[in-house]
Amino acid sequence: MLNHNYLPRKITCTSLTLALLMGLSPLANAGESLLGVTKGAEPLPKGAKELYQKFNCRADKGSGDYHALDFATEFEYGISHRFAASIALLGHHVKTSGLIIDGYIPEENQRTALSGIELGVQYAFLTPALDDIGLATSFNLEYDTVDKHSGQNKDTLSATLGLQLQKYFLDGQLVWLANAGLETTHATRQPIASLDPTVEWPTFAEMEIGLALASGLSYRYTTNWSVGFEGLYEEEYETEVGQERWSLFAGPSIHYGGKTFWSTLSYLTQVNGGGERYDGQPSNKHLIEKTHSELRLMLGYNF
Amino acid sequence: MFSPNFSKYNRHANASLALLAPLFVLSAPAYAEQYLSVAQAQQVLFTGASFEAHFLTLNEQQREQIKAISNVRQRWAEQQIWKAFEQDKFVGWFIIDKVIGKHEFITYATALNADGQVQGIEIMDYRESYGSEVRLAPWRAQFHGKQKVQNVKFNDTISNISGATLSCRNVTNGVKRLLAIHQLFLVTAV
Repeated sequence: MLNHNYLPRKITCTSLTLALLMGLSPLANAGESLLGVTKGAEPLPKGAKELYQKFNCRADKGSGDYHALDFATEFEYGISHRFAASIALLGHHVKTSGLIIDGYIPEENQRTALSGIELGVQYAFLTPALDDIGLATSFNLEYDTVDKHSGQNKDTLSATLGLQLQKYFLDGQLVWLANAGLETTHATRQPIASLDPTVEWPTFAEMEIGLALASGLSYRYTTNWSVGFEGLYEEEYETEVGQERWSLFAGPSIHYGGKTFWSTLSYLTQVNGGGERYDGQPSNKHLIEKTHSELRLMLGYNF
Repeated sequence: MFSPNFSKYNRHANASLALLAPLFVLSAPAYAEQYLSVAQAQQVLFTGASFEAHFLTLNEQQREQIKAISNVRQRWAEQQIWKAFEQDKFVGWFIIDKVIGKHEFITYATALNADGQVQGIEIMDYRESYGSEVRLAPWRAQFHGKQKVQNVKFNDTISNISGATLSCRNVTNGVKRLLAIHQLFLVTAV
């Protein structure tokens, strides 16, 4: 068990936050996604099988050149009409130059790796079409070996408990979605042999807790096509500094849903943020773990 | 605006598809699962009958009346209705309707006998990933004999099918709306 008293404050601050966000989102779970990050509460029917390919492109930390792509290939199966399970393979591509952040981005790097696995279950207590409002809970367990921020080696185990709400309006033409997620993470960075000794890169085990809240509306404006808008608030806590970071993202999405295939494209921009900042950061947003923008593409296929 | 003008939908959809075509190169094309044409549905529900079009054009006030009785919004200004005759004898009403599915409309036909009781329902097309169980005869048979709107209650007099909930609910609401239309505009039109 980790005793935070042993950790120098700065190292704790910078290192613990790295462990979050190992999935595409702390709210991650499967199912047809009308929006980019806010998930639905409608369960996959019994016997249904769906395959998903998800991408999240993160760019712009305010300085240097930073581009990252998280990708996941996921399979979900409906065990009952209320209970579904999923498994996903996770990977990252990180390209960073001209920006060094102690504890987060220790050196310039360009790397692509298939590096993790995620197991998830979702259970629906109420379904939106039957009970007027849908209520589901999800649990995801994730293991990854690569740090999505820096592309460096890092072993991370995280567990996320989620809550999803979904409400139909206009016979289902307009859908309101809301999520809450609580994530706990245990992570250990691997040493970097050639690292500049003036750059911090702590390699002891760390733990942290993250909270995520999301909500959005999706409106089907024509057959098969919906447009939406959502907001995502995230914050993270650790022992020594309390609230270490927070951020509010918002943006539009467009969704296509057909008989066997669906896709969702969403763009989120950081509206506001706070907490830790790196030296010389040009804005007040949170740009250590987050970026100015995220572009997400999800493809789903049922068979 | 969501409306039954499918040519308008197609124009919108085509424009959107052109814009986002690169996103969907991996897609398997969605296709219409049409089970019955209008003529086929007419013969299934009124075998051997002849039909006379009796399309209704509803104004805003009339649509509000339908909603007041059925508690379901009447989306369309036009409702496609035919009178059915067997050897010149009026035997009932044949109505084509659409309700919202998860991705697309579900088109179905409803037959009301001369007294306004539901005689049968046929799903004409269904394009959704899941929920095609609404086509099963035992589920559709639950509507038989229903005449009053208040006797059509989802998850009560009309049971739900797990995994097809949205389709079941919206078809049930659609039939309630058609019974309201009959009560308001068809009883006196015989």
